[in-house]
Amino acid sequence: MKAYIRGIGQISPQQTFDKDDFLDTVVGYNTNMLFCIDPVYKEFINPLQLRRMSRTLRMGVTAAKICLTDSGIEMPDAVITGTGFGCIEDTEKFLLAMLNNNEQQLTPTAFMQSTHNTISGQVAIMLKCKEYNSTYVNRGFSFETALLDSLMLIAEGNAHKILLGGFDENSVNLHVTTERLGHWKKEKINSLQLLESKTSGTISGEGATFFMLTDKEDANNYALLKGLSTLYKPENEKEVEQHTIDFLKRNNLSVADIDLVVYGLNGDVRTDGVYYHLRDTMFNQTAGAYFKHLCGDYYTSSAFALWLSANVIKKQDVPEVVRLGKAPLGAVKNILIVNHYRDINYSFMLVSQC
Amino acid sequence: MDALIAKLKTQIIEQLNLEGVSPDDISPDDSLFGEGLGLDSIDALELIVLLEKNYGLKIENPADGKKIFATIRTIAEYITAHGKA
Repeated sequence: MKAYIRGIGQISPQQTFDKDDFLDTVVGYNTNMLFCIDPVYKEFINPLQLRRMSRTLRMGVTAAKICLTDSGIEMPDAVITGTGFGCIEDTEKFLLAMLNNNEQQLTPTAFMQSTHNTISGQVAIMLKCKEYNSTYVNRGFSFETALLDSLMLIAEGNAHKILLGGFDENSVNLHVTTERLGHWKKEKINSLQLLESKTSGTISGEGATFFMLTDKEDANNYALLKGLSTLYKPENEKEVEQHTIDFLKRNNLSVADIDLVVYGLNGDVRTDGVYYHLRDTMFNQTAGAYFKHLCGDYYTSSAFALWLSANVIKKQDVPEVVRLGKAPLGAVKNILIVNHYRDINYSFMLVSQC
Repeated sequence: MDALIAKLKTQIIEQLNLEGVSPDDISPDDSLFGEGLGLDSIDALELIVLLEKNYGLKIENPADGKKIFATIRTIAEYITAHGKA
């Protein structure tokens, strides 16, 4: 199963909404809670629609619009998204209103927008697209499942151009709640020095990323998405290593064919070991990169990794801010993304030159 | 009545998140739905909740809604006649 990436749109804690700024401008944060940099939403969304949209809906719809424009495709055959928590701020708002008003006098807007499929639905309404529309909510596999569905639709010939999205929003309530579970670092760090912290926990983040996947070769394509694999709760590093070897083999590649490995390192001393194990064993001659210091950690952060990889392939440029180590790097033809969410949901993606 | 109209304008702008609209932009006799302010059916639900929450008024007969929510002035008149404003 494979698909070409024709267009991309991303809203993140970096200035990624500007496709001409490929991490030329890098924003560091002295907080453990990262939020997206907002573009001027009025430039993308009708003000009448905008006034009712929550933050995540604005992010998602704008990322989808940027992606559509970038791809030059006006009408996709399907809209498929993945999200861990969906529109969590509207859910919080609605539940809080229920509590405060003793389950009376509830307004409809927050309730309507609190569902996970709000963004895919809103994009479909905006485009008047009545085709296949699906949203996957599978925690750390949410984006991967949406991607898998997209690849299967393309492989079976049921769709030729698919608008695929991954999004999650951060919120103070969510951060504070999950902080109690030990998800985030206790000490404040500078996000750009995430890997130097050597303590438990990471930084929370958010983002909305959309891709236009197509089965057609085109000079404007970013990259070829060649393979996807997931692994649930591996027992040890050896199992991850073996899974990686098998994944490459299934795609007729060996370790030597990989020019760059993008690791999902998040600075959590409890769970980063597996990445360093891969880097120091299988990929000790291969250049590395990482990305969660730029976007924080969230269920669908692998979409940020795919955005990064597709851009690296197209621009043949690996920004210094994402480089891991000093391994020499020539032309980048094949990139392997290895990511895991809290040592539970492991995913592997192969991104190649077209 | 004028004070109530001014208060309603502020509450409606806030409740409906009418970005870029100030109280002075809304005339008390402008249509709220359709051509005037361009509100829609979801806004109507928000207005019903606003009346109930802030003025203790429940609109029992949905058919009355069209008259009550015609303009800011008709809402103010309804509140004055039935409510505890």
